[in-house]
Amino acid sequence: MSAEPVAGTMKLFFREAIARALREEMQADARVILLGQDVGAFGGSYKEFARLQAQFGPARVRDTPVAEAAMVGLGVGAAAAGLRPLVSITYMDFLMLGLDPLVNYAAKARFKTGGQITVPLVVKTTAGARGQGVAHSQCLEAWMMGVPGLAVVAPSTPADAYGLLKAALRHDGPVLYVDHKRLFPTAGEVPLAETVLPLGRAATRRQGRDVTVVSHSFMTRVALEAAERLATEAISCEVIDLRSLAPLDLDTVASSAARTGALLTLEEGQLTCGIGAEIAFQVREQAGPIRTARVGAAPAPVSSNPVLERAALPDAERVAAAVRRLLDAPPAERP
Amino acid sequence: MARPLRGPGLDSAAGQPTQLLRRMMVIRAFEAALAARPDHGFQLFSAGQEAVAVGLCAALETGDQLLTSGRSIAPALARGLDPGRVMAEILGRVAGPARGKGGRGHLAWPSEGFFGAHAVVGGNLSIAAGVALAFQIEGRRDVVACLFGDGACGAGALHETLNIAALWKLPLLLVCDNNQLSVSTPRSQALAPARLSDLAAPFGIPGATVDGMDVAAVRDAAARFVARARVGDGPALLECVSERFSSHSTATRETRPKDQMAAILARCPIARLAGELQRAGELGSADIAALEGDVAREVALAVAFANASPLPDPAEALTDVG
Repeated sequence: MSAEPVAGTMKLFFREAIARALREEMQADARVILLGQDVGAFGGSYKEFARLQAQFGPARVRDTPVAEAAMVGLGVGAAAAGLRPLVSITYMDFLMLGLDPLVNYAAKARFKTGGQITVPLVVKTTAGARGQGVAHSQCLEAWMMGVPGLAVVAPSTPADAYGLLKAALRHDGPVLYVDHKRLFPTAGEVPLAETVLPLGRAATRRQGRDVTVVSHSFMTRVALEAAERLATEAISCEVIDLRSLAPLDLDTVASSAARTGALLTLEEGQLTCGIGAEIAFQVREQAGPIRTARVGAAPAPVSSNPVLERAALPDAERVAAAVRRLLDAPPAERP
Repeated sequence: MARPLRGPGLDSAAGQPTQLLRRMMVIRAFEAALAARPDHGFQLFSAGQEAVAVGLCAALETGDQLLTSGRSIAPALARGLDPGRVMAEILGRVAGPARGKGGRGHLAWPSEGFFGAHAVVGGNLSIAAGVALAFQIEGRRDVVACLFGDGACGAGALHETLNIAALWKLPLLLVCDNNQLSVSTPRSQALAPARLSDLAAPFGIPGATVDGMDVAAVRDAAARFVARARVGDGPALLECVSERFSSHSTATRETRPKDQMAAILARCPIARLAGELQRAGELGSADIAALEGDVAREVALAVAFANASPLPDPAEALTDVG
């Protein structure tokens, strides 16, 4: 990342990009409110809501009890009645407690009422492992991708965090917005001009010829690191950052994979019924047989023990090794 | 507000005993007509529990919103929704307010003050609190009522909602229609508190238990709590002890013995109010007969309206998603 300032942008940490998106949307639309644990004077677990309560007051920026099911339900009900709430669920592991209102009500409300009720709700949560153990580390995005009516986004850069959060707050249905613990210490250039990034568009982070590596969130950085290493071995990786998991930008992935002839999926979550399995199958349906491989977490809980945590999760070396194996494999056969 | 949430407005006579009687009779006849149809699918009926829905709705005003459990036909009709449109929705016809896409357990017509049913036990409690939060933030004087069964009282949803509603003084009335059974499990085997309205006390909000077979008692208790909520004094919990006249659903077998059922059926809220009105000299037997004929005609019209509406095009399975 360049230390030089980039024209028309400013360098922001993730927390700053998130706070900026919320501040702009709350200024523009009185219906936007924020609910969550420690979102008020404390400013959020990652300071991503810093000073919002001071600016917009305790009615619109509300600390809640530790009650995820009711927190999501409150947001869903308020959204169904015309507000545009963001509910902050500190870690994705705790989202399980709030899935009933999100999956059974919010994702179905527009359908089941024949369009009478919409639920413009954002549930923002943080996934990923960073030393916090088996119930504070999980990446459960794949569970949520298959819920009709629910959008799922997971940015890997502060610019995307800013643009996707703004789009999510303007979306007329429920959106699950997923941050990653290891991204909060990172910074990146964010446009000075107000920018809304539409849901459902992947980004090609690095162009390449030999293999398409598709990932999202923090694992995009791991993919780029692996691509750097492989470049020294004359292996050219194209790296695609999904950004949005539902809707999924299949065209970008499938056209890249068809061009490179090889597809490696990378995720921090589980491989079984995972994002990679879904993408590989959809790419095959669209583009025909392509050599594929997938990298994800080991089929085990993720410990807070640093040795065991590292052992369970993908890293650049494992990704590079998987790419080498994939390219050594014979071409995929037509069925 | 993106969307107005006005309701139909009950006429000023709606809380009067003959109107309460009429509404209960419409619900009973509507459900009987539905039960008689081979194409009703799977239904949860409210026979025996009409007084809870009708008494509660008599206490609500036009701009208020009602959310309910999946046992929602009685509350929907009590709220004043057009019976023909409701029948169409339940039978999956496009003339239903949700074009037949919600159906049983998910009736909704928010522009008429019926925010809707939700067929997950306890699932509407925190949603109702969210609607109340929106009303409070927008400075509206409207109140939200949420009707749920005793089966929901053991779930965390009620306790989480009571806590937040009390803490934030939400304009919310939680009404437990305690029919004393969760499918087949007696309330005594499922819930520790002797009186469910006692659950309000730890949260510092008012609670009351009334006879859910007495429509006027339900109306009066609900009206007191609605009035408090409307002026910003916060939520309340009302328990209405009722009797379910049939099994949990049309697909569930009855487990109660015949002699117990006879005693339960003898407590009919409709017969009770009709008898009271006759004894008070307000209605004669000819009036009752006229009312019955009137109700039968209204239900027949509702059935005819629904029958005239088509089922949806299969393409509607993919519309309004997201």
